[in-house]
Amino acid sequence: MKFKLILLAAASLLSAGAFAKNITLKNVSYDPTRELYTEYNAAFAKYWKARTGDDVTVQQSHGGSGKQARSVIDGLDADVVTLALAGDVDQLHDIAKLIPKDWQQRLPNNSAPYTSTIVFLVRKGNPKGIKDWNDLVKPGVAVITPNPQTSGGARWNYLAAWGYALKHNGGSEEKAKEFVTALFKNVPVLDSGARGSTTTFVQREIGDVAISWENEAFYAAKEVGAGKFEIVVPSLSILAEPTVSIVDKFVKKKGTEAVAKAYLEYLYSDEGQEIAAKHFYRPRNEAVAAKYSSVFPKLELLTIDDPAFGGWAKAQKLHFGSGGVFEQIFLKK
Amino acid sequence: MRKLTRLSAAFVTATLFTTSFPALAAESAELQALRLQVNALEQQLRVIARQIEIKEEAAAAAAPTTPKITVNDKGFTLASPDAANSLRLRGLVQFDSRVFFNDGGGVLNNAFVLRRARIISEGVFAKNYSFQIVPEFGGSAVSIVDANFGIAISPALQLKFGRFKSPVGLEQLQSDAWGFFNERSIVNNLVPNRDIGIQASGDLFGARLNYAVGIFNGVADGASTTNTDFDEEKDLVGRVFVSPFKDDAGSAVQGLSFGIAGNYSRQKTAAGHSGGYRTDGQQTFFAYNAAVIADGATWRVSPGLDYRHGSFGLLGEYVLSTVNVRPSATGAKAELQHTGWQIAAGYVLTGENSSYAGVVPATNFNPATGTWGAFEVVARYANVDIDDAAFPLFASASTAASEATSLGVGLNWYLSKAVRFTFDYYQTDFGFNVAAPAVSSNPVLRQDEKAFITRFQLTF
Repeated sequence: MKFKLILLAAASLLSAGAFAKNITLKNVSYDPTRELYTEYNAAFAKYWKARTGDDVTVQQSHGGSGKQARSVIDGLDADVVTLALAGDVDQLHDIAKLIPKDWQQRLPNNSAPYTSTIVFLVRKGNPKGIKDWNDLVKPGVAVITPNPQTSGGARWNYLAAWGYALKHNGGSEEKAKEFVTALFKNVPVLDSGARGSTTTFVQREIGDVAISWENEAFYAAKEVGAGKFEIVVPSLSILAEPTVSIVDKFVKKKGTEAVAKAYLEYLYSDEGQEIAAKHFYRPRNEAVAAKYSSVFPKLELLTIDDPAFGGWAKAQKLHFGSGGVFEQIFLKK
Repeated sequence: MRKLTRLSAAFVTATLFTTSFPALAAESAELQALRLQVNALEQQLRVIARQIEIKEEAAAAAAPTTPKITVNDKGFTLASPDAANSLRLRGLVQFDSRVFFNDGGGVLNNAFVLRRARIISEGVFAKNYSFQIVPEFGGSAVSIVDANFGIAISPALQLKFGRFKSPVGLEQLQSDAWGFFNERSIVNNLVPNRDIGIQASGDLFGARLNYAVGIFNGVADGASTTNTDFDEEKDLVGRVFVSPFKDDAGSAVQGLSFGIAGNYSRQKTAAGHSGGYRTDGQQTFFAYNAAVIADGATWRVSPGLDYRHGSFGLLGEYVLSTVNVRPSATGAKAELQHTGWQIAAGYVLTGENSSYAGVVPATNFNPATGTWGAFEVVARYANVDIDDAAFPLFASASTAASEATSLGVGLNWYLSKAVRFTFDYYQTDFGFNVAAPAVSSNPVLRQDEKAFITRFQLTF
């Protein structure tokens, strides 16, 4: 009897081992999420192992959000994309039909499991006295922001400035255009992504102020250059909603659909939200948000659906499309 | 007096103070301005450095997705970033001048000849699948020289399908562009040229041994396939070539390679035997009678060697070619054995290495810089002996030679890897069957062939 039990246990162990799978997922993400997903991937792998017995390894790819979307469209076989904005994920449907049109409805909060906003990072003591957006257009102020044509973060930066200018100029688009033109005149270096801009400002010591994701500003101020920088919260900013989606065409081909879905759904779990908050992304989960409420300052936030922007499709076409406002500014510069 | 001194000192101090204070203030302002200027310049320098850094990062990031275009003396290549897919365009143009001496009063025409004009397309897909298409625009009609595709399973096993060189003759397998001489030796009359079939080849034992085995439609001596097989039999071909010392750096025998090749098939019809054996000057010195047909076993054996040591190169081979023929459809069958051999050598006067794949000059010809490219002297001795039994039933002793012996000397000038001038003199003596008349009926054979052939060659 004892022998039979041992045999049974051994067989169970063997069969469990024999059927456990090694799964590799590819997460194509935007620039500043490296640290977030490094921790999250480990947590998810542990969760998935406990749930299914399978081992999951997640390969990360980071870069400017627009560039990353382009890479996936060009064939980078991502299982999931976790990009800076819905407009970039839309491209996967619009150009390559890699995902369905209604991809944003598949997960809560329009598939944006965490949010962020745009703030200013300045050098210690704020030598140029930067307080709000109008300080960034003053002569002699060097502003660091990435290129909106390649970076999702940069598009949020740009739109936040545009929204501020509209609100402070009676809704005049002409004035707003003048404002962002003046702002970009003060930009000496256009990096392709947000992390590149952090490098420019923090490590290369260029510029007086960096327009930055809130999470990236915290990362720079607390972890990269602790004590050397300060965060300035402007009077008005934008609710940045990084969005996530599985890439249907690739997961079906690779047979990773279930685990890819679970990977994104787990971002909404308590643990996923806690990890996001720890890395200075504003959590959706109210309990976790309450726990971290002291970390994130309160400020007026416009949304992409505000009449100032009219949603991503309109904003993309008007500002960042071919012949759009940014291109006009850039060519003038 | 002491009081006066004190007063003087106070006066001097006051004067100095009042005159130097504005100067100090001005100096401080200037220093401040300079400091700001230095800071501004430093920022500008940092911006420039960062912009360069960003460009470099972008280039490095783009590298894995940017197709590569290469233009060099190996052709024009368009390759995918991972090099798994590529398309290469190459070319070969050979423009000849042929001058014959003592040719019996102008029997042979001195002429310019466009010997070869080829645009070669080669490609690789998914790393392991390749193709080659070689159309020929030289000669009297456009034709396809090679058209084949390959599957590279491993270095030890490569499969090739289509039309390509049958792997029997050593010199025949060498590129048309890179022989010691501008024309291959008369020995090549006895080996097959291009055929249609399937071949497996590969390198074994660290590429010390190269093998090839194949099954082809089968072609006659010196012939290329016409895309038609005149019988049901297939030609089995095999070749083994070893380079046993290839890794013995510094050894005098490092560049020694040798091996043996052969084939066996059964041929029928007139297409199964050679249409004629030609001299270096491309004149026919032996041909079968018109009614002769092949009928039976056709086989060849050809050992060969290639030796390279620094500037010196040597190539030698022997061929035994056997064909079963009938004088006519109803005539008695006979087995004929023709033999041929050659020994050819070259020495690169300018010091570059001799190579089976052509000489790479250390400098290109450029009068402006006083560089001349590379020069190579070459010599060759070759013989083809026709089976005596061929006469008179299968060939006419009065119009066909039974033996040809050729001596060639030449000079090769490599203006660059892609451009070569060759200046070759060939003298071919003919032997005749005992039944031959004192004076051959074939005017070409009444005297030794003395040909001076020069070639301008462009290959990439």
